Amino acid sequence: WEKLNTGPWQDVHKDWRRVYAFGCLLKATCLCDEPGNAPAVAEALRVCDMGLLMGAAIHGDVLLKVAAVLQAHLRSGKRPGAAQEQPSTKKARNTGVSVPDVASERPVPRLRCPSLQQFRKQFLAPGRPVILEGVVDQWPCMTKWSLEYLQEIAGCRTVPVEVGSRYTDEDWSQTLMTVNEFISKYLRDESSDVGYLAQHQLFDQIPELKRDISIPDYCCLGDGEEDQITINAWFGPRGTVSPLHQDPQQNFLVQVIGRKYIRLYSPQESEALYPHETHLLHNTSQVDVENPDLERFPRFAEAPFLSCVLSPGEVLFIPVRYWHYVRALDLSFSVSFWWS
Amino acid sequence: MAEERRGSWFGFGFCGFGQALGSGRGRQVHSPEPLATPGPGADVCRVSASWSYTAVVTRGGQLQLSGAAGGAAGGCRDAWASEALLLVLRAGPAVGPGPELQAWAPDSALRGEPLWTHTLVPEAGQEDAAGGKPQARALPLLPGARAYVSPRPPFYRPLAPELRARRLELGGEHALLLDEAGQVFSWGQGRHGQLGHGTLEATPEPRLLEALQGLPMAEVAAGGWHSVCVSETGDIYVWGWNESGQLALPARSLAEDGKTVAREAGRPHEGDSNMRRTVGSEDGAPAPFIAIQPFPALLDLPQGAEAAQASCGSRHTAVVTRTGELYTWGWGKYGQLGHQDTTSLDRPRRVEYFVDKRLRVRAVSCGLWNTYVYAVEKQESGQPQPRV
Repeated sequence: WEKLNTGPWQDVHKDWRRVYAFGCLLKATCLCDEPGNAPAVAEALRVCDMGLLMGAAIHGDVLLKVAAVLQAHLRSGKRPGAAQEQPSTKKARNTGVSVPDVASERPVPRLRCPSLQQFRKQFLAPGRPVILEGVVDQWPCMTKWSLEYLQEIAGCRTVPVEVGSRYTDEDWSQTLMTVNEFISKYLRDESSDVGYLAQHQLFDQIPELKRDISIPDYCCLGDGEEDQITINAWFGPRGTVSPLHQDPQQNFLVQVIGRKYIRLYSPQESEALYPHETHLLHNTSQVDVENPDLERFPRFAEAPFLSCVLSPGEVLFIPVRYWHYVRALDLSFSVSFWWS
Repeated sequence: MAEERRGSWFGFGFCGFGQALGSGRGRQVHSPEPLATPGPGADVCRVSASWSYTAVVTRGGQLQLSGAAGGAAGGCRDAWASEALLLVLRAGPAVGPGPELQAWAPDSALRGEPLWTHTLVPEAGQEDAAGGKPQARALPLLPGARAYVSPRPPFYRPLAPELRARRLELGGEHALLLDEAGQVFSWGQGRHGQLGHGTLEATPEPRLLEALQGLPMAEVAAGGWHSVCVSETGDIYVWGWNESGQLALPARSLAEDGKTVAREAGRPHEGDSNMRRTVGSEDGAPAPFIAIQPFPALLDLPQGAEAAQASCGSRHTAVVTRTGELYTWGWGKYGQLGHQDTTSLDRPRRVEYFVDKRLRVRAVSCGLWNTYVYAVEKQESGQPQPRV
């Protein structure tokens, strides 16, 4: 564990991560000594998840298999819960939501199922954002996913959660909890704290959920292999904010549940966006997009941008290094695909 | 060295590799036990512990290793243990070339040839005359203070001459230097705030800790990801990572586990108002939990005890007070705090063993997951002892 915390994460030697994964495997095995002891089995599953989150693949992804077995075991012991609140009823409570006046802003263009050539020529090559419609209509997640379903499939699994309004805040932190705990603490009640299951490769950890999504066809226009595409889950309540930042890869942001307000600034405008100078945050702007301090950041007011409200079933193409700001208008689940 | 009653060394914490700790039984020792090696009557003056082995040097110049690395050698003045290599300072002949620095692979058992050696320029009377502080200018700082040794290449690292180094400590990913004027410098990785400059940026060269300017320091100690220093007036300053409570600041993980014994009912403890920040702090209201403290914070010991010396392990901290008590806090999973259990603490707690045995603690030296303590029997007359 200490080796995993030494140096930058990408520099941690894979062997230490493998050792950690083995440690988790052994510990989980010991905890499963008494199958009837539900808390011990739940702890064993948590330990498997720690190995999956921080360790590296060992023995043909044995931790995934163990986790699946433990999950099934725990699920069979559970009695069916009371009727859970559906996300749709949450939308009715619109008090306090500040929906931006998108109509007065320059919109991101929309296209319905463009051909590969059209997409490459008009958007990928010149690096222009676009919203693709009709592309993910057949994905199972569009009809299957709900809070109830996610709790059933992944409720006992341990996931990383970001606590705090945005990652540039002083009191922002990351913690681990089960999906059940996350949903009950941050999604069901209007919690005073914002919790966000953000930028997590949930589908590597829980292969069952991976079956509900696919890979956008347009990714084949890239140079990399399909297994190099990073798929992240973004699951959180209304009000989560990702501060204006840029990423080093192309991005397809697939909206599954809820709506998100998104603003996009071209990389050419970088200077007017005042990126942080520190190494840690050099890809993040210092400006609060919806409440900019124009005295400190005067050029921001003039920087042109595109914006949209991304709704379920829509896919936003964010070109590489295109600055983007995201705020969830509803309880939201998005899936992002980082590809090159 | 001033005339004084000879004391003895004790150890507690992790000894999974059979390193000299207590009787060497078992993998953990939760309460202080007298060191069994190198043998009764051995006058040990230096203990340097790495994760898997411990090096012990006697006043007679005997070096003995125990744990994953074994072996012994004579003619040694100082030793410094790390997983990558063992540094040994061999005394030079009275006339001629000066002391020799040797770097050994720990598993060589001190047989054969060292990995490399470096002969140092002899300096007149530079070791014992250090004002009664035999551990001053200890490894990895080299005699003469012109350079220090790192367990990672480049091994020999010169120090700028204007840095008149008195003491140098290496942490997991950073380094602390105390100069003759009592100023503290830090450099290395800063991701956990261990450099104390108020940011998380790395600093390649020694940089003065401005927050401590004007407060002359007497001791520094570096842990895995945290730093501690003791002022000449006995105050303690801490900064860096606090995930196990190693800074004695409120730690979230301890509260959530419910395992901390810090908040003992009925005890008139000072509470969080204890934790005053030094000049230069930007913080407003104190946060409930502190994961990273990026600049020095003043730490008070119970009953206003004054600190004399500090040492840091990987994620725990130990402090000796002027009245000869030992306080420990931080990660305690292997009993390295010496409180007869394996709870971690985010508050300083006195090690009662030494009080109960009427022993006066004089020095502490932490390994990564264990703690070694030097103590003498209490004098009847109660006159103050000279500081080690």
